[in-house]
Amino acid sequence: MSHSELATAQTALDDAAVISVADAGIRYRRNRRARRNFKDLFSSRARRTRPGEFWALRGVSFDVRQGEAIGVVGRNGQGKSTLLKLVAEVMLPDEGQVRVHGGVAPLIEITGGFVPELTVRDNVYLTAGLHGMKRSEVDARFDEIIDFAEIGDFLDTPYKHLSSGMKVRIAFSVISRLEEPIMLVDEVLAVGDKGFREKCYRRIEELLAGGRTLFFVSHNESDLRRFCTRGLYLNQGELVLDAPIDEVLDRYNADYAEV
Amino acid sequence: MTVAPPERAARSSLSRYWHSLWLLAKRDLRVRYSTSALGYFWSILDPLVMAGIYWFVFTQVFKRDVGEDPYIVFLLSALLPWTWFTGAVSDTTRAFIREAKLVRSTKIPRTIWVVSLVLSKGIEFVASLPVLAFFVIISGAPVNPNLGLFALGILIQGVLTVGVGLIVAPLVVFFRDLERAVKLALRFLFYASPIIYGVTNLPEQLHFWAAFNPLSGIFSIYRSAFFPEQLDWFMVAVSAGMSIVILCVGLLVFKRSIRSVLKEI
Repeated sequence: MSHSELATAQTALDDAAVISVADAGIRYRRNRRARRNFKDLFSSRARRTRPGEFWALRGVSFDVRQGEAIGVVGRNGQGKSTLLKLVAEVMLPDEGQVRVHGGVAPLIEITGGFVPELTVRDNVYLTAGLHGMKRSEVDARFDEIIDFAEIGDFLDTPYKHLSSGMKVRIAFSVISRLEEPIMLVDEVLAVGDKGFREKCYRRIEELLAGGRTLFFVSHNESDLRRFCTRGLYLNQGELVLDAPIDEVLDRYNADYAEV
Repeated sequence: MTVAPPERAARSSLSRYWHSLWLLAKRDLRVRYSTSALGYFWSILDPLVMAGIYWFVFTQVFKRDVGEDPYIVFLLSALLPWTWFTGAVSDTTRAFIREAKLVRSTKIPRTIWVVSLVLSKGIEFVASLPVLAFFVIISGAPVNPNLGLFALGILIQGVLTVGVGLIVAPLVVFFRDLERAVKLALRFLFYASPIIYGVTNLPEQLHFWAAFNPLSGIFSIYRSAFFPEQLDWFMVAVSAGMSIVILCVGLLVFKRSIRSVLKEI
């Protein structure tokens, strides 16, 4: 392959969207106790909205290219986390499509996969394995993971005996070493002490510098400005603005000031 | 300028499925055995105590005219697989509720939450077979080449159990009452299946209908290793057919309801 062909191929790769969301929508019931029947459960995805249901997200479309850092902005309950879950493919849209090319390292409910009764060592292998790592890959990164979490002395302690700070540390450490091309971050960094938070931030920057794609949900303006280049502003389940992060934050602040 | 992240070797989705399945089944077994002192013995103690009770009642108290001799072998050859079936089905009622956090944060094919439960109970079943072997040896029951059909029995039972699990697991998320209904149905099914008796002990006119309980054919396969006259190929064929139909229904129910399940948990 000649040099120019290589360059063209590289450009094509850069231009290809790694995340592509097209007209996605997801609806929920407003009332959990609402009467439910079998017909509802199996009804096709394209039926009309019924009373007592609302769209948490609707008509959301955007593409993300490799290496972009996206910040999702919006007030509570405007669909930010739901959007993240759609991108993580742990939720399925009721209409439209969400396509994700490449593996995802979801920093969502990071401690969820950990089993209280098992040791830290077993838990690391289990969680990394469930996210698609082979045993040999975990072996190769095991020391790095433990060092980062700073819990070398507790390898054979049951997970339930760790302090809550340690739990978050080891969980972050495992997921952030998944080496997946796409990272999803949902406010997890609000926990942990200041020193460790800074360490997590540096790790995220390191991954970004390595060409990874970031999808970041946060209320913290300085974090958003620090990591993200592009912003998505969600309001009442709709994508109001898709622009550079500074522009999006300015608009958000302006809207918020009016209220 | 962009830097491409390091490529990880792509794995086929099938090998990932097996990998995740194996990890979860192993986890379940490890948790069960690491948190109780008796560990493995609990999984054989339950069927053993049951077998002991039925053996006592039917050979010492009542004059028994059902089943075959030695009765303990006759009992255990159906009771051990029944323990697998009932354990796996009652576990699947809690499949999504127990794993909610993991389901919400991990993208793996979602049938795994059901299949891994069936697999871990299946491993316990296989691990309990030495108990059956022990009673076969001390009672001197003759063993015949039908023993090789055990694999077929395990296969059909696996298909059936996964099928039932795929139906039950998502529905329980919406109808919590179903959890108790399933427990009741399982208790009913215990007596409606040829466990403490054989199909041949049923009145003649019920033989045909008994075949439509897929467990009849499955248990007849296991039993034929020691009691060749228990094997009835018509029943086996019906139960294999029923199991495949139940699996297909299960896959359909699962596929249609998973979207709502993910929102609910």
